[in-house]
This record gives sequence, structure tokens and C-alpha cells, in this order.
Amino acid sequence: MTKINRITLAAAAIGLACTAPALAGNKLIPQGQPVAVAKSPLTITPDHEWNKMGARPGRNSETWTLDGDGLNDVTFYGGIESGRTLFREVSKKNKPLPRFAATMLLTDIPALFENSYSIALDTQLMKIEGVTPTTFLGAKGVHFAYSFSRPDEEVRRKGEASAAIIGGRLYMITFEAPNVYYFDRDIAAYRAIVASAKMGAAPSAR
Amino acid sequence: MAAWGDSMLRFVFRPMLALLLMAGGAHAALAQEKSGIKEGFALKQGSARILLVRPTIKVGAQSTGGMFEPNADWTAQAKDNLGAALDTAQSKLGNAVIVADEPIGAAAETMADYRALFSVLADSVIQYQFFPGNRLPTKKRKGVFDWTMGPGVAEIAKGSGADYALFIFNEDQYGSTGRKILQVFAALAYVSVQSGQHRGFAGLVDLHSGDLVWLNADLKMGGDVRTPEGAQKRVAQLLEDFPGSAAFAKSAVKVAAK
Amino acid sequence: MRWLVPLAAAALLSGTTPAEAKDVMPVLPPYAGAYQPQTVDERGLWMVADETERAMRDSKTVIHDAALNQYVRDVVCRAVGTDRCTGVRIYIVRQAAFNASMAPNGMMVVYTGLLLRVRNEAELAAVLGHEFAHFELRHGLRGYKHERTASDIFAWAGVLAAGAQTYGTARTYQSVQISAVGSVYSYNRDLERQADFLSMQYLKSSPYDPNCFGDIWTRAMDEADATARGRKQRSKRYDRVAFFATHPTDLERTLYLRQAATEMGKKGEDDQDRFSAALAQWRPQFLADQLKLNDFEGTDYLIGELGRAHWTADLLFSRGELYRMRGNPRDLVSATTFYRDAIAQDPANAEAYRGLGLAQLRSRDAAGGDALKKYLAMRPDAPDAAMISTLVQ
Repeated sequence: MTKINRITLAAAAIGLACTAPALAGNKLIPQGQPVAVAKSPLTITPDHEWNKMGARPGRNSETWTLDGDGLNDVTFYGGIESGRTLFREVSKKNKPLPRFAATMLLTDIPALFENSYSIALDTQLMKIEGVTPTTFLGAKGVHFAYSFSRPDEEVRRKGEASAAIIGGRLYMITFEAPNVYYFDRDIAAYRAIVASAKMGAAPSAR
Repeated sequence: MAAWGDSMLRFVFRPMLALLLMAGGAHAALAQEKSGIKEGFALKQGSARILLVRPTIKVGAQSTGGMFEPNADWTAQAKDNLGAALDTAQSKLGNAVIVADEPIGAAAETMADYRALFSVLADSVIQYQFFPGNRLPTKKRKGVFDWTMGPGVAEIAKGSGADYALFIFNEDQYGSTGRKILQVFAALAYVSVQSGQHRGFAGLVDLHSGDLVWLNADLKMGGDVRTPEGAQKRVAQLLEDFPGSAAFAKSAVKVAAK
Repeated sequence: MRWLVPLAAAALLSGTTPAEAKDVMPVLPPYAGAYQPQTVDERGLWMVADETERAMRDSKTVIHDAALNQYVRDVVCRAVGTDRCTGVRIYIVRQAAFNASMAPNGMMVVYTGLLLRVRNEAELAAVLGHEFAHFELRHGLRGYKHERTASDIFAWAGVLAAGAQTYGTARTYQSVQISAVGSVYSYNRDLERQADFLSMQYLKSSPYDPNCFGDIWTRAMDEADATARGRKQRSKRYDRVAFFATHPTDLERTLYLRQAATEMGKKGEDDQDRFSAALAQWRPQFLADQLKLNDFEGTDYLIGELGRAHWTADLLFSRGELYRMRGNPRDLVSATTFYRDAIAQDPANAEAYRGLGLAQLRSRDAAGGDALKKYLAMRPDAPDAAMISTLVQ
């Protein structure tokens, strides 16, 4: 989930933003080549090309998209450590986000995710729809579906996630899209990404 | 990467208030108007029926501090004027235009869903293809204009016999006197203040495939939509480069220039 | 002042201090009726309010339950009288904050967080009457003008995000930047005092016990303090409590309310039973919403207050959930106690077995498996049944 772009849009809408800040632009992810994501050992081999967004939701996360994160958004969480939030807090003081703990059970992960979104988006309408066990990254994992809406938009969105706790860190891949057309169209591409996901070697220093 | 997010927040939420107030306009340094068309798409005059979806129109004033103040009278005038201007403009095009009814019940939800999706889609085109700064690599390629609402969009035109749907969004914030004065003072200080904001987009969707075949986005439009002549000019800008509309654009400009 | 203020109300408001309250508590002014917008500003504001209301009607955040809506409407009518309450449209919005507001066009919005926090019907009447007083005194318009001339955009940045609580809120609110629903109305101390006095007048003519009117404010402030404490902040501004948005209420206010209540010298009802009955089926959901806020201290304070009279199963369960969510080793032990107490009161509470089992497992206590088995037996079609089964092996 790229919150930074939303902040940009909100700021732009109230006439605040200046010229676009200098940031590493969006990059192309070519088809078929394994690539480490989210500054972590999590490695994906995509079966077709994607765009990697320059803006990141948090320090250990990364977003890919086909048409723009408002239309399809695959976000990787690579090794969230105990005591960290899932993504960057907009207001640490007034809206602190819940934090991951290595002692959490897998059943706690959907709740962590749900509360994080409902605080960040200021909504009671974030809903987890179904929680099932799965195998993810070769370990016991949890899979869940969800639905939500951003507060400044009318579009209803659906989401799906797979997560596992490995070595005391949380690894998760989520997919979100408007529930009109885009979710159904792109879910297969997301599932292919999840199926290809592996724990590779830790990335070399960049 | 974390640094950018943090510095953005620092930028927005910390002082230099005056400077920030003055730096209005998201794309101040960038191109203001752009349109895109699907590769190979052309619309022959008289060949199609177009469903005009209820436009989203917001008109108000922009206070000294940059706040949007909604103005009911202006919005009502704009809706009337833009509606009339759209009627004339489309009739010049030689394609039949059907104004979409206000649906009720389940159909209303579907219509709301698609109008909402269109806004998100147009935002994406504007952010990730049209204007430099944040473009996606797959969208930057020459000749590529690959956007869609999905074939389900035909639902909103059920029973109308329409081949295309035209979506329009228009927003005007007129700079108040205070804002204009601020602009003058700011200019003396070599700071650029945008007074007023007039942006909009118009998009054409092929109802058979769901593809977006044309989008025109303009972040700095002209014409005062509170007057009939201004609304005509605005519609001309919104529908500039409308597929198959070279004749249309010329005649609209003549009308505005009178 | 460009809006119409009923003459009687004006007399009521001129320079009244608490000390003079005894002398200057006049009769409830006759109601001037619904106000129509006169000026350009007002029409603009009405337009926004009307559009918000249209979005509200279709919104997924609004609770449409007929019984609950009728109950709240009845409370409003008992609080301010039938003359005033006809024409008010009430919307109960699912948001965990303590808030209620009234737009200039007569639309009243009540957050479920408010319904969770008031202890009885008299308290609910006090809060809603207070909002109605702002509406009758046209304070909303004044607030709008005030904000318009203030150049503080950053006050709005938060409102942008927080104000739009409708599920289907349009792009409008990216650019409109104000919430017609009222989190925008920053009333200063004077306006609050004016509204307090007028609402005391409503309540004097109402069937309610005036001694109930001051407490809710104190508890709201105490809760905000608890929240701040939990976040290691100083709660110098009570903006965590949406109702008190941009100005601090203070002890003086609670004091003069108490004093006015005593001087009224009237007895009245708190209608606790009717209130509890109406809210019984809703409280678990409102508590669940509150738990999602990630506010341990504030929620613990609130649950403690609600349980002061009597710890019911739903409160014990919620407290268990709260502690389990924070998840420190000691918290998990406390949580198991709360869940067990909940089960003792209500053995059919499957969710409590789930919570108990998860808390135990997280403490590496294998007994958790048994509790989870019980949960699965009671709720074989739970949305997370498959997941829970894997924990039981």
C-alpha cells in the first residue's frame, strides 16, 4: 500500500505540494528474472513484467503495480522485525499503529493487519473475510482476504494476503485492487508471484 | 527510500507556512494539459451513440489561505451552463448523444461504482502516464495507451444502445480577492502563488470492450463556467482532440472567440 | 453577526457568569424554527451539508437499524422537546470516537463511540441536547467563517482524512476540505458556555435528572488523559476526544454545570434500564470497534468505567481481548483471567474460549489447545476455523 502517493495527492489537492520531490523513479521489473524485494531475502520470479514503485510504504516493504497502485497493488513486506509497524505512521502521536511481535501466533497477523489499516485509513469498514492456513515460503503460513475503502474515495477495494513468521520476522505479500473488474483480472498474476516466492540469500549491500 | 517519505512529511507539516501556502498547484512546474488516445482508435462522425454519464462538477472560491469554499449558486450555474454547452458541442460532432438517466436501486450502485472507478483510472493515467515525475516504465512506451474499465462497464448503458460512454470531471476554484492580492505580494518576493485552480478531464470509454479509448486532462483550464460563453469555452477545452473532432474543435474556438 | 439569534437566547447569553446563574436562568425560549440559508456563504455550507447527507443516506458506515434509530430520536425529543426535534434527521455512524454533531441544515450525526460511553439515557440526552443548542444558536456558521479566515491549512489536513466517514465519499472532499458534519466547528469557550446554558434549559424542561449532566464530560477528559498517558504524551489538548476538538474544556465547565444542576433543584430520571436494553445488542460491536484503535490505556479506562457498576460477560471478554492484543507476558496472564471470568458468567460465549486458547498458546501453555477445541465445537463454521484447527494439533 503506497501511502506516500496518497499523501502527495492529498497535499496536492489542498494546493500545498511544490514540484515533485526528487525520488528514485518507478522501475521496470522484467519478466522471468528472480529479484530480491523489500530489502530482504524474499525473492520473486515474476511471470510477466511489473512496475516497481519508487515510493515505499515502509522501510522493509515495496510495492509493484501494473497500471498504478490505485488499480492494482502488490505489496511485499520483507522481514518486519519485532516491535515494528507494518508501514510508516502518518502521525505517531495521534494515530500510532500496532506493532508486530515475534511471539505473535499466525492468527494474530490478520488482526494486526486489520487494525493497522483501520487506524491508518480512519475507518471501521476494514473487514477480514476469511482466514485459512497455507504454506508460504516453505513454512506454515496464514492466508486471508479482506475488503476496505480509502476514506477519500468511493471505490470499494478487495484484498488478499499470504503471510508467515520466519526467524522471528514477518513476511507477507498482499494484493489490492478495486473490486470492480481489476481484482478479478489481476488476482492470478498475484497468486503466481506468491507461488514463485522463495527465501533467497540476503541481498548484498546497496 | 525512507528518507523521501519522511522528508515529504517534514515538508508538509512543518513551518515555512507562508511559503507552503504560496506554493499552490501540484504540477506547477510541469506541463498542464495532455491527452491520450488508444493506438489505432478513430471515431467516424455519425457512426456511434455516446452515453453522457452525469458529470462531476464542483465550483467554488479559493480563500486567501487556499481553502476551497463551495458555492452553491456557482455550482448550479455551472451545471446548467456546462450541460447546455455539452449539448451543443456534441450535436456538432454528428454522433448521437444520450444523457444517462439517474438510476435507482442496484443500478445506482453500479453506476456509482463505475463513476468512482473512472476517477481512479483517470488519476492513474494522469499520474503514471501523462505527466513526468512519477511515470510507470510500462506506460512510458511510445504509442502505448493501454487502459480499461473492464467489459462490465457496459452495464451502465444497458438498454440505451450506446457504443461509448463519456465521463467528465470539472473542478473550479476561483481565486478570491484576498488570494489575488497575495499573489501580487508573492510575486514581489519572487515566490509563485497560484490563484485559483481550474482542472478537469474528459474520457471516452468503449462500452463493448471496456477500454479507455481517449482521455483529455487539463490542469489549467480557461473559461468562466458561471457564464454560458465561458462554459462553451470550457467544454471546448475538455473535449479538445476528441476523436474525430478536428472540425468540432475549430468551430468551438470560433464560438469562444466571438 | 450575520445570523439570526433568537432574542430570548441573546438575553440568555449576555455576560452570564456561573455566580449569576441562579438569577439568570430564564424560561426556555420559543423555538424560531428551521433556518434557511440567507447569504452566499450559508448557501455554500448548506450545499455541502446536503451533499454530505445524501452520501450519508447510502453510506455503509451508517447504522440503519430501525429500533436503534427510533430510540435515539426519542431521546432527542425528550431532551429538547417535540417542537425542536421535528425536522431533525439523525444518522448513527459507526465510528469509535466520542462525538456527535449537528450541521446547519438539521442533520445530526451520532458516533457509536458516544453511545458506548454514556452510562444512561440522561447522559445521552445531555450530549445531544448540547449539540442541538449549538445548532439553535447557529454556532456552526460562525465557526465556518472563523476557519475560512484562518490561514491554518494544517488544521484541515487532519480533517481531510478524518472528516470523511462516509463509505462513499466523493472526490469532493479532496477539494472541499471541510467536513460539514462538524468536526470542523471549533467552538471557543464562550460559545461552549452559551450552548451549555441553552442545553441546561432544555434539560430543565425535560424528564431527566440534571445531576447526570456533568459526569460524562469529566469521564471523557479522564479517558483522554489515560490515552495520553499510555502514549507517553501530555494531554494538554483534548483533541483525542473528537468532541472537544480544538479547545480545552476545563474544570470550570464541569463545576458550573454541577452548580446549575443543583440550583435547578429538580429531580428526574436517568432511565438507565431503558438505555441498557436498547444498547444491549450493540455494545459488543461497539467494544470491538474500540479495541481496533490501538489505544490500550484509554480503552482500559473506558472498559473499567463501564464495568464499575457491574462486570458483564461482554466487558470481561473485551478486556481479555485488549490485554491479549498488547500481548506482553503479564498481559497474557491477565487476559486468561478475564476470559475465564467471562466464561463463568456466560458459558455459551464461544469467542471467549477462542481468546482464552490463543492467550494460553501464546504463553506456551498447551492447555490452550483444549479451549480452542471447545471453540471449534461451538463454532464449526467460524471464518477462521481452518486456521484455528491447525493450532490444535
